[in-house]
Amino acid sequence: MMRDTRIRRLPMALSALVALALAVLPLPTVLDAFRPDFLVLVVFYWCIESPRAGGLSLAFFSGLALDVIHGVVLGQHALALTLMGAWATHLRLRIRVFSMLSQCLVVFALLAGYQFVLFWVDGATGNPVTAFGRWLAPVIGALLWPVIIGIMGKVHER
Amino acid sequence: MVAFRSTDASGRVTGLLFRCVLYSLLALALIIVDKRYAHLVKIRQFLSVVAYPVQVAVASPFEGWHWFRDSVTTRDALRADKTKLEAELRVAQFRLQRYEALEAETVRLRALRDNTAGVTDRFVIGEVMNVDLDAFRERVLVDKGAGDGVYVGQAVLDSGGVFGQVARVGQLTSEVILVSDAAHAIPVQINRNGLRTVAVGTGDTNRLKLPYLPTSADVIAGDLLVTSGLGGGFPAGYPVGTIAEVKRDPAQSLADVDVKPAAALDRSKELLFVWLKPQAAELLPPVKDKPVPKK
Repeated sequence: MMRDTRIRRLPMALSALVALALAVLPLPTVLDAFRPDFLVLVVFYWCIESPRAGGLSLAFFSGLALDVIHGVVLGQHALALTLMGAWATHLRLRIRVFSMLSQCLVVFALLAGYQFVLFWVDGATGNPVTAFGRWLAPVIGALLWPVIIGIMGKVHER
Repeated sequence: MVAFRSTDASGRVTGLLFRCVLYSLLALALIIVDKRYAHLVKIRQFLSVVAYPVQVAVASPFEGWHWFRDSVTTRDALRADKTKLEAELRVAQFRLQRYEALEAETVRLRALRDNTAGVTDRFVIGEVMNVDLDAFRERVLVDKGAGDGVYVGQAVLDSGGVFGQVARVGQLTSEVILVSDAAHAIPVQINRNGLRTVAVGTGDTNRLKLPYLPTSADVIAGDLLVTSGLGGGFPAGYPVGTIAEVKRDPAQSLADVDVKPAAALDRSKELLFVWLKPQAAELLPPVKDKPVPKK
């Protein structure tokens, strides 16, 4: 069992690192607002597919990395990602048997919840971002979910 | 509670709810400590060093492409560039001739007025790193940090004018908040008549606004806005922008003034970090009847 866990940790860390890089990859200003939360999707994937390998710890520390890299108040993304990661883990048995459409809808709810926690912390710490564009990321992320599953499934099998 | 438990293959039961609450409380504590107290500054500086490799890795392909493009420029292009630069240099040198005399005069006049704001002491050039920080905040990451003496609140300029100020400092990098960020405001005055006000960012890279001018204020489209140096954060007299549009609604007491920023906020690659002279008076030959404050 120990070996089993250790094998899963490496692709987990690597995929999180790649997703983190995608989060800061320079994009044209027009596309920037449409950037989905790659790291969040990857964390959801690991929470759903192998919760035993420490999906929640991954969620917390990925969130912390996002805080540092985005330069926002420390703990903001960590809180949002922990809460939604826990929810995803809780729902994982149901999500696995859902059709792709229902999966996308659940992921949309999770992403919207994630965005809402960010929105709330932004407001509570005194620098609200009220631009409507921030609510686009959950939609795009949910649409991308099948692609993420496909890629991550390949990574997972290795 | 059963639903919140996941069982290990080894039969060990791990509480999802417990871990979720634990991590959430930890995150909340971090948020509160980071917001209220300054204890986390050192930790953040350290964490930014950890994040540095990722940022460099993301930026490096773009840097590599630039380097490649630079190294395969043809001789003709280089020669054309050289001719153009030489012409520009001549103009610049011509303008510079009077600059030193003018600067000395400014220092003297400022000291007479006991105005400490405003004379730049030294500067360091930083380069914008090719990473996107946040789509909805106007910030950039620059490759100069606490190690280079950069401090929070430091003024940052580009070749066109005022770019922004340092919002956060890491060991190797720093985050610059642009004048166009919705959370940024800068004390300015209109160059034509000296009218002082505050220019506030809008969140739109190409627009600032002056929200605190009365409808009757003497401001017209095309006016140059320069820093007033009040507040001590920015050196005085640097261009911030030009008035793009003034909308006066007789029903409102305040005018609606749009400003086009002078700095190339979305294009500049090289930025100047500016250190202000602590006391303009200290630069003057010591005056006998007025003691110069010593640290």
